[in-house]
Amino acid sequence: MPLQILLPMVVIGIAGIVILLHLLGRSELARLEDEAAARRAWLREYPDTPPTRVILSHDRHAALIETAHGAGVVWPMGMDTTARYLRGAEIHRTKDGLRVDLPDFAAPRIRLRLNDEEADLWPTLMNRKDSP
Amino acid sequence: MTEELTYPDVVNFAVPFFIAAILAELVWILIKRRGGRYETRDALTSLLMGAGNVASGIVLGFIAYGFFMLLWEITPLDLGTSLWVVLLCFVLDDLRYYWVHRFGHRIRWVWASHVNHHSSQHYNLTTALRQTWTGTFTFMMLVRAPLILLGFHPAMVLFCGGLNLIYQFWIHTEAIGRMPRWFEAVMNTPSHHRVHHGRNPRYLDANYAGVFIVWDKLFGTFVPEYEKEKVDYGLVHNIGTFNPLRVAFHEWVAIWRDATQPGLSLRDRLMYCIMPPGWSHDGSRTMSDGIKRRHLEAHPEEIGTPGFTDMAGRP
Repeated sequence: MPLQILLPMVVIGIAGIVILLHLLGRSELARLEDEAAARRAWLREYPDTPPTRVILSHDRHAALIETAHGAGVVWPMGMDTTARYLRGAEIHRTKDGLRVDLPDFAAPRIRLRLNDEEADLWPTLMNRKDSP
Repeated sequence: MTEELTYPDVVNFAVPFFIAAILAELVWILIKRRGGRYETRDALTSLLMGAGNVASGIVLGFIAYGFFMLLWEITPLDLGTSLWVVLLCFVLDDLRYYWVHRFGHRIRWVWASHVNHHSSQHYNLTTALRQTWTGTFTFMMLVRAPLILLGFHPAMVLFCGGLNLIYQFWIHTEAIGRMPRWFEAVMNTPSHHRVHHGRNPRYLDANYAGVFIVWDKLFGTFVPEYEKEKVDYGLVHNIGTFNPLRVAFHEWVAIWRDATQPGLSLRDRLMYCIMPPGWSHDGSRTMSDGIKRRHLEAHPEEIGTPGFTDMAGRP
């Protein structure tokens, strides 16, 4: 197929599908209903290290997890979730919460939407110093 | 000897069909309120990976094709272009696909290319298009060499490979439950391929087939979909990005970081490249058989159920 036809078809096709999905409300982020849901989300990634403590964010889009092997975070990947330990993380205060930079090419950054109280408390619980 | 032979570039011609089928699946899910899930950014990433795969084929395709034409120059065999030869080529190329796919899950160097196809936590027709950008660097083109040396023209082999990929598009769906029994027995189906995309311990390293599921049954890697356990899609450790560049290259970066750690022997560095995903020089990580074993330690009642049938007596 000539590129002159293939290229516009691909661009229009991708754009059309993405716009349609967004208009259909398929861009919403996962919400953790309760602590049990956050615990399940963590165990889905780390089945051998159960949480010793779970703290949900006020909007329930993320959770801070404490385990015997250190702290971690569960956060949304679209409608689903993923999780990571915070070893080697750099934590930065942002306008609407925290930004966590991880030494992980496949999960380089977590943007946490937190209220002021949470944004003050979580870095302490993450056992990391808040960087300027 | 057949010198000039051209077949249509079937994958590119199938693009309008891909788009129409995705829209049809989406409408089906909306009407029926079942049969799969779509998410905007996940779908966008999958579609961009598909577009990038086509682009990488345009840019790097000459390497594989040049290699195949070189083999065609040296082989004394030419099976011709009859319909029976094309059919035989399709079947043998599907066997080739089975082994390349199996290597893709059991050799980390090849997994680095294939992993992106499994990186979505969704399973819909866009997932089928979440294809590699780096296939050329796996050198899996070597597995096609016997076909060409046997006398199948390179253009025919690539044509059959294209048809194989198109077949696999429709099996990436939850909208279809099970096909008729005879079809499930011989062909790869949505049910069989859902298993392949599962991250549940029971579904790891199963159902590598492209078109004919008989290869898995023949080589002992077949696992049926278990009605008591829904497939959980994605990677054992799910990625935390929708960035296509990170999706395409994250495992290559991980191999580099592992293999260049200070203090390793040359053998360990090599092992990080060729051993199955999850291998580590100090045993600190777990490969798929270890994940299965650990799961059965916690759930011994599942020994003998699908995916764990060859683990009787363990742990």
